[in-house]
Order: sequence, then C-alpha cells, then structure tokens
Amino acid sequence: MTRLRQIAAAMTLCVAVAAATPGTGLDSAHAEDDVSPVTIGQTFIAASLDPADGSAGWALTSHGVGQNLFGIDRDGAIVPVLAEAVEADGDGWIVTLRPDRRFSDGAPVTAADVAAALGRTNDRNPAARATGGAMTFTALDDLTLRIVPERPVPMMASLLAEWPMVVYRQTPDGPAFTGPYQVDAFDGAGEITLSPNPHYDDAVARRPDIRLLRFSDPQSLALALQAGELDLAFNLPVEALPRLRADGNLTVRSFPVAYQYMMWMNTRRPALNDAAVRRAIDLAIDRDMLIDAVNGGEVATGAFATFFPFADDAPRRHDAAEAAALLAAAGWTDGDGDGVRDRDGEDLALSLHAYPQRPDLVSFLPVVETQLESVGIGVSTFVTEAVSQLAGSHDFDLLLWAQHTAPAGDPAFFLNDFLRSGGRNNHSGYANPRYDAVLDAMAGTGAPDEREALAREAQDILFADAPVSFLVTPFWHYGTSARLADYEIWGSDYYIIRDDLFVAGE
Amino acid sequence: MAPDAQGPGLATRLVRALALMWLVSVASFAMLHAMPGDPVVITLSVQNLPVTPDTIAALRAEWGLDRPLVEQYWRWLADFLGGDWGVSFRTAQPVLDEFARRLPVSMVLGFGGLGLAVAVAIPLGFAAARRPGGGADRVARTITVLTQALPSFWLGLVAIWLFAVQLGVLSAFTGPLVERLVLPIGMIALYSLGTLTRVYRAELLAAAETPMFQTALAKGLSRSQALWRHAHRRALFGLVASLTPEFGWVIGGTAVTEVVFGLPGISQFLVESIGVRDYLVLQAYIFVIALWMLVVSALAGVAGRVLDPRVRA
Repeated sequence: MTRLRQIAAAMTLCVAVAAATPGTGLDSAHAEDDVSPVTIGQTFIAASLDPADGSAGWALTSHGVGQNLFGIDRDGAIVPVLAEAVEADGDGWIVTLRPDRRFSDGAPVTAADVAAALGRTNDRNPAARATGGAMTFTALDDLTLRIVPERPVPMMASLLAEWPMVVYRQTPDGPAFTGPYQVDAFDGAGEITLSPNPHYDDAVARRPDIRLLRFSDPQSLALALQAGELDLAFNLPVEALPRLRADGNLTVRSFPVAYQYMMWMNTRRPALNDAAVRRAIDLAIDRDMLIDAVNGGEVATGAFATFFPFADDAPRRHDAAEAAALLAAAGWTDGDGDGVRDRDGEDLALSLHAYPQRPDLVSFLPVVETQLESVGIGVSTFVTEAVSQLAGSHDFDLLLWAQHTAPAGDPAFFLNDFLRSGGRNNHSGYANPRYDAVLDAMAGTGAPDEREALAREAQDILFADAPVSFLVTPFWHYGTSARLADYEIWGSDYYIIRDDLFVAGE
Repeated sequence: MAPDAQGPGLATRLVRALALMWLVSVASFAMLHAMPGDPVVITLSVQNLPVTPDTIAALRAEWGLDRPLVEQYWRWLADFLGGDWGVSFRTAQPVLDEFARRLPVSMVLGFGGLGLAVAVAIPLGFAAARRPGGGADRVARTITVLTQALPSFWLGLVAIWLFAVQLGVLSAFTGPLVERLVLPIGMIALYSLGTLTRVYRAELLAAAETPMFQTALAKGLSRSQALWRHAHRRALFGLVASLTPEFGWVIGGTAVTEVVFGLPGISQFLVESIGVRDYLVLQAYIFVIALWMLVVSALAGVAGRVLDPRVRA
C-alpha cells in the first residue's frame, strides 16, 4: 500500500502548493471594516488596472473605481463628473475641472494630471482614438484644459464620456483613480477586492468593502446568489429568474438596456429598394412574439432605449393586414398560388441572417421567418459567424443586429455612423438627403433640447423610409440579497458599482 | 543494451521532437489564420467601437497583423522562443503572464482530479476484480455509464445546487481555497474514475487467468492476496498506459469545470480566446500542449520501463 500512500501524499501536496501559490487567482483576501464586506458576482471584471489596456477603462468605471470628465446619468443624459463645463474654442475645446475632486491617494485632480492621463490613453489605446483620432491635451492652468481632436467632434462632452477616457494619475504603486472605490487587491484573473476611496466624500465610512468575483457561467452566478454567497449578482440568466424570484431572501430586478435589437434591410436589393416593401416588413413583425422568444424585453420605440431623452415614446406597430395591403399595392401578389408573393415572375424571397455572438438574435430567426411568411414573403434563414464581413460585403437582404446606439449618451453617433448617406457602417445602403440635412443641423448645435428634437425628427424619417426595423429593447437582470435590497442598477453595464451602494441597516 | 533494442538514441529523439514542435507551430499558425473571423473586427465589435476601415487598419497595424503572414510567423517564433509570447488581444496582458497565472489552477484541478481518480480506482477496481459481478463491480460499472452519459456542466451545476444551495455544507465560490476545490476536483475525478477502474479491473482479471496466478491460489493464497502479489503490478502498468492520454487534457481540458466553478484556469481562458480569435494565446497554447504531450509520452515510456518487467529485461 506504499504506492497508495505516495499517491495520496502527492495529491495533498498538489492542493497545498496551489493554496500557497501567489497570484493563482484563488486567494480570498478580505478586508475587515465597520460595515461588513459585500460580495458581488459578475460575468466580467477588469483584466488590468491600466485604463490604457484594452477595455480596462470600461471595467474600472463599472466597478466604481474609475471616473470620466463626463458621464451618463440614470435618464441617459450626459452630465459633468470630474469636469464642470466644456465649450468650443476654435479648432479645439476648453474643459473646466471641478475644484473639489481628489484621487484616491489624496492628490487633487489637476488639469496636468488629466492631460497626462488622457494623452497617454489616447496614445496607447486605439479605442480612445475611435471618435476624435489622435488628440492633444494641454493644461492651461490647474483647472483648465484644452483639447484638440484630430477629427471634428460635434459634442466633446460625449467623447469625454466614452469608456476609454478614464481619468487617473500614475503613482509608484500604480494608477490612482477618483471613483468611490479603490483597488486593494487584484489578481488579474478572477477576483478584485475594493475598499471605499477615503478621499471621495464624507459617506466613505458607510460604504462596505467589496469582493468582486468573476463568473463565466451565468447559471453558476445564479446558484451562487441562491446559496447566499453573493450580495449582488449581475447579468442573471432569464431561465433562473422564476426560481430566484420565488426565494424570499432575494430581490430580483430587470431593466432595459441601451443595446438595441434591430434588422437592417438592404436597400441595394431590387425588392427592398421600395420603401413600401420595407414598411410592410416592418409592420409584419410582431415584437411581442420576439420578446416571448427570448423571455424578456420591451417593444422598441425607435433607435434608442426609452430612458434616453432623445428616444421616441410610441412602441413600433404590428399590423399584418396593413403589411399585406402595402405589399399588394406595391404589385406583390401571389399570382402562382405557391404562398409566396411575386411580381413580374419574380418571387419575393429574402435571406435573413443572424450571428451566434448574440444568441437572442438567433432565437429571433424562426419568429421573423414565420411572421414574414404569413404575409407572403419567402424567407431563408442563415446564422453567420463573421457578421461584420457579411455586413461589409452587402450580401444579405435582412440582417438582425444588436447595437449600443448611444454609448456616450449622444444620439449622433448611431444616426450618423449607421444611416447617413455613405456612413461608415451604413449596412442598409440607405441614402436620403432630407435625413442627412437633419443630421447636419444636429452637428451645428450643442443645445440638448435642439439635439433631442432633431434626433426624433431623424427617427421619424427612418420610420417612413424603413431602412432598418427597430425591434426590441432587451432587459438585463440582477439579483441582490437583503443587504442590498434597495440598490438599483440602470442603463447598461457602465456603472454597476456606484457611490450610492450602501448596506441596508449597517 | 544495444541502441537497436531500445529504439532510436536520445539525440535522434530530441531532433525528432524539435522537428515535430516546429511542424506543429507552422500548422497551427496557418490554421489559426485560416479560421473564419477577424480578431480586429471582433474586438472592435465587442468593445462597442466603430468598425471602420480606419479603426480596423489602426488596430491591425498595432497588432502587427498588417505584415505578410510569413513575416508574422517568424517574428512570433523568434519572440516566443526568446520568452516574449506577445500580448493578448482580449485582455491586453502579456500572454506569458496569463499562462503563468492560470496554468497552476488548471494543473491543480487536472492532477488533483486524476490523482483522486487513481486513488479511488485502485481499491474500487481491486474490489471489483475480487468478486466480478459483485457490489463493487456494479458500482464501478454504474459510475462509468453515468459519467459517460451525463454532461459534465450539468453534473457540476447539480453538485453546486445540492451541496451549496440545498445542503449548505460548503461555499462553492467564496469559501477558502481548499473548500472551493472540493467539488471541481471531485467532478474531474468522477469523469476519469469509471474508465480507470474498468481498466485496472480488466488488467487484474487478465492476470488472474495466467498459470502463475493459478499456482499462487494452489499454494494456499487467498484470491485477494494472489491478486495483490501477482496481478497488481501488471494492472498498474495498464493503468499508467491508460493514464497517458488522460494527462493530455490536464492542460486545457478542464474548461467546463473551470467555467462552472468560476476558477480562473488556462482552459477557461482558452475557450474565451477562441471566441475572439486571440491568435497569440491560441498559438502559445497549442505549442505548450504539444510540448506537454511530448513530455507525458516520454514519462509514460519511463514509467512503463519501471513497471513492466518485460521492458526492463
């Protein structure tokens, strides 16, 4: 039995070595404080503490560590965070900083710090150059900064609210940030420990330490919440919701997110070059059935989630009879009785594509197919992994798509990039000078009210021309233990941990 | 012993191994770049950035993907052999650091699971061989059938639900490290246990058919004593042979377990890297796994020589 003992000893050694190995991502350090720590599970956490690395800026802001000069509030409006104001100045912009903000190491936030941080990120991270190109940041005095973008930027506040533009200060111990939390321990793989930023505000003593854990499997996330191991679980799977809602110790909430589900209609194709046919397709789709297919969401009102101030109010309509009438009026009838409408001997048969990276869209395929077939449109469905190439090649009739339509709180990005004549991502090949003129007017004004009105006007034109069918605003789901029962998450995944995260009764 | 009796010499084997590694690197490089899906486009999409010719070109240049494929390969090989494994497209961290951080987790899971499986398979297989068709034999057969039939992610979730949610006897995600490893190592062990038990049992029963074993029984040894003294060593040899392919998945084959139990191992990292076509991670992984299999194969040869008297003779 000596060999068995040796095997058992080797196994014990294996586990012991792993337990003692630093940086394996399995250590479980806790910080004791007045308020007992909370544990949060998410399907993503920061892979780096350097905002210049990949999407680290996004994750750090989501964790309550990083902040931008501007941000997006609960109503989808762009609001100042570390900045006080921004105004155009010739070929550039002048930003005035708030005088009362400090980094987590106690140093005041100065224009020189901001210029150094944003300049470094802009230089190193291509994501930071996506809108304005290479930019120069110059500190004019302690609280004033001049920014000159390489490309014209209609709304600098929106650019500064983009996730790569996190403000930080390089210190010998790593970057210091300005958010309500600071990083205590970071293993780069699966766990981050946060503590309240002592230089944030007076409420620091009431904030708990946070242990942030990464879950790759949403079902495991739901089980961890149900087992009482988590105080907050973000991005719960739909199928776990009834079980979790039945648990009296948990609070489960759902909220609409800015990622919109839509369907491009390729106007380059002869059948779809007719706005009446496109409107008919738009009317033929029953969005409620799409929502049933993915167990959640709300009928889209247009290009933007309803919490944005520039979103339309009325849900998109479904009327199969009106769709059929429009098709008949356009000359598409079922002349040969095969169930598919035809005109001049040509069937109204379309290809419909989705991509597996967005499973909800794949679930939409059979629903849209059935609904279009019910009004006499033949449909062939395809799942295409390389969707960007497909969109770029224009080799589709209908293409289901998911898009965050206002990532920095401004409607102009989506309306310009995806639908302006010759736009960089104009997948439908849409061109309408009247629509372009509305966008030109939007570029000429920085007044929020005017921009909101123009965004609605642009959407009205899109509804009439229907180069795209806006389908569903999806819901995301999260659950909390009794300790965080009052805490609410909104928008998307940009601000999951905020400065109003307090433990009930502690 | 003469070289022809042992096969090729050490130098020849080394040269062959190096040639094999080079071929693996070329083939994997070519295959990865032939895969559908552009890492640049995927990354821009995932990060909600405009996918435009400008942004694509900028990122492609930054990652060196705008250079000719042959140049990309030689640059990668030179850097890789020099210890610079590049930077992950997805996490923006050095690939070597990612491997150093995550490999120990996967190896603990893999070796822990295999070790536990061996530790249980030997007594269980022994008991099954002692009385074929008896209780232990039926248990071993049931485990084999169940683990082959049930998906591992499902079994993992059921285990969490049972032990963490219903019974509350352990914290599967937030407890101390040893507590967190209990279920995943148990799951991995379960999946190898059935096969290893059956192999060990079959080898014992085969040895029990030999004249030497019958002679031992005739001399008055009990069946258990005879199995232990005259069949166990041979059965161990069979067990080692069947373990060799099992070792192959120790690096990279525990993805489902790592995903379900939220453990930051290399397997989970690999799966996520495939989704975004993280070439440098995938290339490094294939290289490491090929090297690992060479090492395992060599170690299996050594173990065979130690355990099998016919090879040692």
